This record gives sequence, structure tokens and C-alpha cells, in this order.
Amino acid sequence: MNAHANRVLVLTAALFAAIALYAAEPSGTEIMQAVYDRPQGKDVQGNLTMTLVDSKGKERVRSLRQVTGTFASGEKKLMVFLSPADVRGTSFMNWSYDEAGRSDDQWIYLPALKRVKRISSEGRGDSFMGSDFTYDDLGDRHPSEDEHRVTGSESIAGEDCWIVESVPRDPKDLYSRTVTWVSKKTMVGVKREYYDHRGALLKTLTISKLESISDVWVILKTEMRNVQKNTSTRIEFSEVKVNSGIPEDEFTERAMTRGL
Amino acid sequence: MMKSRVLWALAAVFLAAANLAGQEGAAVNGYARTKAGALLEDASLFLSETTLDLRLSYRSGDAGFFANPVLYEREGRTEEPVLREAYMDFRGESFDLRLGKQQIIWGKGDGVFITDIVSPKDLSRFLVPDFEEIRGAVTGARLDLYLGSHALELVWLPAFTPGTAPAAGSLWAPALPFPVTPTFESVVSPGLSLDNGEYFARYSFLGESFDLAVMGGWFWNDTPGYTVTDKTFVPGVGITALTVRPEYYRTAAAGYAASGALGPVILKSEGAFYGLRRYQGNPMIYPDGYAEKYSLQYMAGADASAAGFSFGIQFIQDLILDHDPDLVDPELKTTMTFVAARTFLRDTLTAEVFTYLGLDPLNALVKPKLTWDATDALEFFLGAYLFLGDEGDFGRYDSNDGVYLGAKFSF
Repeated sequence: MNAHANRVLVLTAALFAAIALYAAEPSGTEIMQAVYDRPQGKDVQGNLTMTLVDSKGKERVRSLRQVTGTFASGEKKLMVFLSPADVRGTSFMNWSYDEAGRSDDQWIYLPALKRVKRISSEGRGDSFMGSDFTYDDLGDRHPSEDEHRVTGSESIAGEDCWIVESVPRDPKDLYSRTVTWVSKKTMVGVKREYYDHRGALLKTLTISKLESISDVWVILKTEMRNVQKNTSTRIEFSEVKVNSGIPEDEFTERAMTRGL
Repeated sequence: MMKSRVLWALAAVFLAAANLAGQEGAAVNGYARTKAGALLEDASLFLSETTLDLRLSYRSGDAGFFANPVLYEREGRTEEPVLREAYMDFRGESFDLRLGKQQIIWGKGDGVFITDIVSPKDLSRFLVPDFEEIRGAVTGARLDLYLGSHALELVWLPAFTPGTAPAAGSLWAPALPFPVTPTFESVVSPGLSLDNGEYFARYSFLGESFDLAVMGGWFWNDTPGYTVTDKTFVPGVGITALTVRPEYYRTAAAGYAASGALGPVILKSEGAFYGLRRYQGNPMIYPDGYAEKYSLQYMAGADASAAGFSFGIQFIQDLILDHDPDLVDPELKTTMTFVAARTFLRDTLTAEVFTYLGLDPLNALVKPKLTWDATDALEFFLGAYLFLGDEGDFGRYDSNDGVYLGAKFSF
């Protein structure tokens, strides 16, 4: 083998090594896209219990039934409040679309007024029912809305995770940046930190129970803690069913008014 | 005697509730509320009310029933129990059938009743109570047919339920549309007969970007017209005596309601064309005391939210077609409404202001309210209603400005 052939061999080996390395360490965008594309199930239903804890440790509990379905036009979600008594029967429906930039359609039904009312979906930064979650925190954020980069790896509760920093393309976004710990095994973000526009840590989201149901990873217990206000909100998802064949016409005015 | 009846009714309701509560598919909910109100003008306590509102429901498969008995104690007097709703329903694959006394609410507007033509309104305290308490119930059959996001609703009411007007001599009694105080004959109401039924239909669609409803009805007007049956005219003086007969009469209406999203704003509109309705006029011009006219009512509005606030604005016009100058009501009446609301302290404190503004003449009703959820079950509220102007739908109550406070326990 002459010197020229040796050089070619070494270069080829280096190229393959680079490709292998690239394949082993995906970019931040690829990771967040994989998180976004993770199978969610055709439909998911269950009971949500939301516990709001104030800075003095006092708890308020809300429970609701939630059904989510994925259809050709996008995702449809219906939530019906079961407690407390003064909001029992109140329902909230959201239709979100795959088209980038298209606003969601949202409606609310208030049993006292016996009327379904279309509401603006632009208050995505507002608190969801007084909790530490905003409407945006609870939705699936499209990866194209942020610039992503991998800042390292870490093990969380025995799970190997990539650490991905995401900076919104829109400087007026609710947060200045988020940092997500994405499980290499499940492609679920098991921890996320939210930073305010001063660069200070605002909230931390942790997932404490994750289960595979019908081959879909479902988050069963999660907590959002606001470290600046010392408040927190726990959400538990129970009696979960995945892919039970919920038809699209379950997401209608009729379902909102009569409950699930 | 009456107190005894009330106590028996109370006992029966509680026995039913207790029996229901232990059964699968049954639910007992409701609230107890107490509130007191005073007039700003002389600090007189004009409202002292305690309410027990029970919601009893039971479902067994596709069938169910719901009852909403309400007990009031007002100004120290226990009133007869009110059955606000009591119906049974059956849910089929693509239809719902509901029979009995029920509230049927239509329309997209807030605080306006343009296409909300089925359930009568209780205006005994004008527009001061919460809107949910202003709407009454009707007795009849309602059939809803569904096809995806499309729905067709058919309503048959065999018995007419009139609206409730402010009692004569009460704070809210409006000025009568007559030149002298008349003598009233007995009210003429439609008798219980199949011929006197009311019929309504509504098609509605809820979809991507917009919602639409088209409705119509052939019904009895919720408020009576007044037919002049006798009058005394003195030359040079005018009418000195008048006798009128309140009569409910048939009319019809057809209308639409729509709402849609335009970026961050929800646009909404509703309108209705009303068949012949009776408008009071000069008894010397109109022998019966009224003229029959067609009319139009329409609303355009928008809702939005920003910086944690939610806002709403509506522009409403009432137009009497082929108007005569001798009618009491003006040809065109323009009203606007404004609402602003915001929650604080993790949604436990809510501040809201709802305002009606009449434009000609300029007058208004401003209803601010503060609600604090002390716990998930107990709320305290403090509110006011302020009438501005000297005349017009709202200004005529200028001396009725009041404040109220109270507490509500939900269970």
C-alpha cells in the first residue's frame, strides 16, 4: 500500500468517524424536533387533578376530565371541570392547527349562563386557572419558534439526558430562554427551567412519573414551581386511556354543554 | 298557612336531595347566598335576600333528570319555593330530547337579548341582578339533532310563560306610556290550548374560525301591549281618564348570531327582524292606543384580552320601521356596552365592570363588582349599580344608585 493509498484510508476513516459522532450527538434542533414529533397517541383521555400551593403552603385543588384527539386538521382538546363546586360543569375546548402561525380556536361553556362562547386564544401567557402554568406551558410549542443548542448531558433520576437551551426567536416571548433536560431513552423533557427577561430563573418544571401506555409515553405527575413567588402547581393525570378511538365529533358544542 | 307550605316544600326537597346524594349517577349541588343592598341616596336598605339554590340531577344511561328548586327569603319574608327548572332528557346517538321546564338561551351578545327569544326575562329589578338570574324558564319540548359540528334545535312550548315586569310602585317601575294614569282591566293571556303553542327553530354551526346560528320563532310577545278600551277627552284639557287592557299578542322573529376570530380579537354580531309588535302611542291618534310596526335590532361587537385584562365592546341599535312621530318609543335607539375584567391573586380576586351606555339621550348604567374567593367554596362579593343621566332607559333610575355586598357558599 503506497503513501497515497494510506492517506485516502485515513481520511475515509476520519470521515466515517465524524459521521458516526454526528449521528450520536444530534443537534439541539433535532432533539427538540424529536420531542415534538414523539408519538402522542391518536387520542388520550383521563382525569386531571391540579393542586395549587401558595407561598404559605395552603392548597387549592381543581379536578377536571380531559380528552385530546389528533385529526387531519390538528389537535382538539376538551376539558370539563368536575370540582370545585362553583366551576363544576364549566368546559373549555381548544382546536390547534399544524399550520405555522395559525391561532387556535377556543370556546368556553359556563353552566350558569348556559351558553358556549368563543374566546380569544391570544392570552397564551396568562395563567391557566390561577395555576403556575400558562396556557403556553401546557401546549406543544413548535421547535421552529426557538433557536436550540445542546449545552451538555446529565443524568436525572437515573435517566441520561441531553441539556438543550432554547432561545425564542421572538424577543417579546414570555421567557428569555428555557433549558430542557430531554431523556435520551423516551425523548420526553423530564425537567425544564424557564428564565425571565432579566435572565433570572423564574420557574422549574419537573416530571416525576412517566408511563408507557399503549406504546405512548404519558406524563402522569408533574410539578411547576415558581421560584420567585415560592408557589407551585402539581398536576396528576389518572385513569388514562390511549387510542380508544374517540371520534372527531366528540369535540363539539354538544360535548361542551353536556360534559364528558 | 304559606309558611307551612314552604316548610313542607323545604323538607321534601331536602329528603329528595339526601336520597339522591347516596345513589350512583346522582348529584346534589347548588349554593346558599345572602346579600344586602342599600340605596346611595338615603342609605335605605332595599335589598335583604337569602337564597338556597339546589341543583339535583340523576343520570341512568341515556336518560336523566334535573331539577333546580330555589328558596328565597326577602326582606324577612319567606317566599314560595320556585322551581326554576325541572326536566328530563334522553340522549340518543345523534339527538337529544328534553321535556319539561327549562332555560333555553340563544345569542352571542353579552347583556343583550336580541336573538335570545325563547326564555322570558325577569326584569322585576331591571338589569341589576346577574344575567343568569334575569333569564326565566319555559315549559315544553326541545329536540336537538346533530351532525358533526352542525346542530338543529326545535322547540315547542304548549304553554306561554310571560316575562316579569317591575311591580307597580316598586323602585324599578317604569314610567307608563300614557298621558294620565290609566285604569287597568284584567290581563288577557293566551289560554291553555294547542292553538296557542309557541314554536322556535335554530340551526347552529361551530367551526374553524367562525360560528354561526340562524333562528326563527312564532310566539307570544313576552310583554303585553295595552289596548285602550275607554277614554275621557275634555276639549281644551285633553284626556282626563283612560282605561286600558293589557293583552299578550302573537308575533314572530327571524335572526342570526355569528362570531369569529380575527387575530387576537373575537368579532361577534347578531341581529333579528321582528314581526308586528305593538308600540304605544297617543290615544287621540291611535284609537286602540298603539300601532303595529315591524322592527329591527342588531349588534356588532368585539372581545379581546391583553395584559391580563379581558375587554368587550358592543354596539346595539333598535329600529322601528315605518315609524310615526306619535309613538312613545323613538324610531332609533342606540346603546353600547363595555365590559372589562381582570383576576388577581391567582384567580381568587376578580374585578369587573359592565356598563350600558345609551347614546340618545346620553345615559348609563355602570355595574362594578369585586369577588373574592376566600376558599374554593366560599366567596364574598361587593358591587354597585350606578345610573347616570336624567332620562333614557338608564337615566330614569338616577335616584336608584345602590351598593350591595354578600357571600355565597357553593357545594
